[in-house]
Amino acid sequence: MKSRIREALYIGLFDALPLLRDPMLLVVISLFSFLPVIFIFVFATAPGAAVQSLVGAIILTFAFTGLFASQSVYFNKQWFRFQDMLVASRVSPASYAVGLSVSGLVVALPGVLVALVLVLLSAPVPAIGVLVALATALLLWIGLVFVGFAIGATTKNARRANSIPQVLSIALGFLPPVYYPLSTLDRYPVAQAFAMLIPTTHAAQLAKYYFGLIDIPVWQVALGWAYLLGFT
Amino acid sequence: MEVVRVEGLGKTYPGGTKALEGVSFSIDKGQIFCLLGRNGAGKTTLLRILATQLKPTAGRAFVLGHDVLQDPKAIRPHIAVVPQEARPQMLLSPYDHILYFCMIRGQSRGAARERTRKVMDDLGLWEHRDKLASDLSGGLRQRLIIAMALVADPEVLFLDEPTIGLDPLGRRSVWHMLRELTRKGATILLTTHYLDEAEMLADDLLIVDKGRTAFHGTVEEAKGDTGVGMRVIVEHPAGNGTGPPEVLEPRSAEEILAIVERGLREKRKVTFKPASLEEAFIKIVGGSIEVEDT
Repeated sequence: MKSRIREALYIGLFDALPLLRDPMLLVVISLFSFLPVIFIFVFATAPGAAVQSLVGAIILTFAFTGLFASQSVYFNKQWFRFQDMLVASRVSPASYAVGLSVSGLVVALPGVLVALVLVLLSAPVPAIGVLVALATALLLWIGLVFVGFAIGATTKNARRANSIPQVLSIALGFLPPVYYPLSTLDRYPVAQAFAMLIPTTHAAQLAKYYFGLIDIPVWQVALGWAYLLGFT
Repeated sequence: MEVVRVEGLGKTYPGGTKALEGVSFSIDKGQIFCLLGRNGAGKTTLLRILATQLKPTAGRAFVLGHDVLQDPKAIRPHIAVVPQEARPQMLLSPYDHILYFCMIRGQSRGAARERTRKVMDDLGLWEHRDKLASDLSGGLRQRLIIAMALVADPEVLFLDEPTIGLDPLGRRSVWHMLRELTRKGATILLTTHYLDEAEMLADDLLIVDKGRTAFHGTVEEAKGDTGVGMRVIVEHPAGNGTGPPEVLEPRSAEEILAIVERGLREKRKVTFKPASLEEAFIKIVGGSIEVEDT
């Protein structure tokens, strides 16, 4: 078991190494989901909107990390062909899959930590609240890692391997109520119903709830967990 | 000692495409075994089955005594694969590639550093250790990919068209390296489209055509079996010739001598063209080419 964890760790590090070796690119990539927060901070008038969007950005960082595993899967399989080299060795397929999944997290972690500190400075919450909020993000990440692997393993062309996750990231991240509150859609019941079909909506709602930024009924909390568990 | 044994191997893909049918052969330790064939002949399928990456649908295959279907985990620690058109990560150095592959394959950081140094020294990569892969020549990149496969000191190395796209010097450097590896006891199975490569390297040769064995034997046997012999081209005397030169296929030393004497007597230029594997290959798979053309 220890050797399998080690394999996965080194596969993850090797996959993340080009970004880790280039700090400028690392900053840009890890801040990608945090850019809308700056606009919300500057232009939003509702109290607490910026902190809510920061929590949304943390959730999306995990979501995008899972989704963009598709690129690691595709490029290691079809472009570099490291998958063939590693499968025909003592490395277990499970270590390989876990390694590629965590490589994105390694890159995203610095941004998440900075955001967490900012959220906690703005809205102090008990440690258990932080842990449960991060658990929702992790559940979402696991679900989207599977989606990412499905895309990466079935895509045969590099153009699609890049574009599909980008399009999905808009559908999952920038359109639904992740940066902004679900209540903003109260005036548009159809859009709100659609939003409830998207996993990032539930993860963001739960995280904001556990950070004490919004209050939602118990049934909605239960629905959120059920949805995320089902999705995963 | 037999390292690879294949008995009636077949592979039919889910769509019904037959990639391999009834292929049998064996490879002894320290041999370079070349798989030749046209595009889509089944070379890569065969290599992937032996490298435990693909399951056969008929027959059996054994690598180092273990069945590829029943016991792939026993095979994997002892083999390495260089896939077709594999390329390094352009934003990393050769050192990073090899060090991480050592650690991924279970070596401690210290042992990995030592192994990286040794493999890079052996393959002439040490002086390029800190360059980005994007700054390496095609030959060096290919050597790097082979070095990544060699970190585990494999007993059997599977190479799928390892010199594709390399210039003549790059190809020769890879050939030299492969010969060195077999001298140290490694067994190599390689697929190639380059017949001069097979001619230079192959201890044993398998030509597959449409998934079936078209020929199995040595390079010399391939030439002999197909009747491809040395050709002698006798040109017309200078200023006195019309039409194409005579192309003769002498069968004995006496016939060669007679042609040379005639050339000297008639002051005609005589050129010897050794038999090539390419001609034998075309004769072997030529029938199917004609069928496809009609």
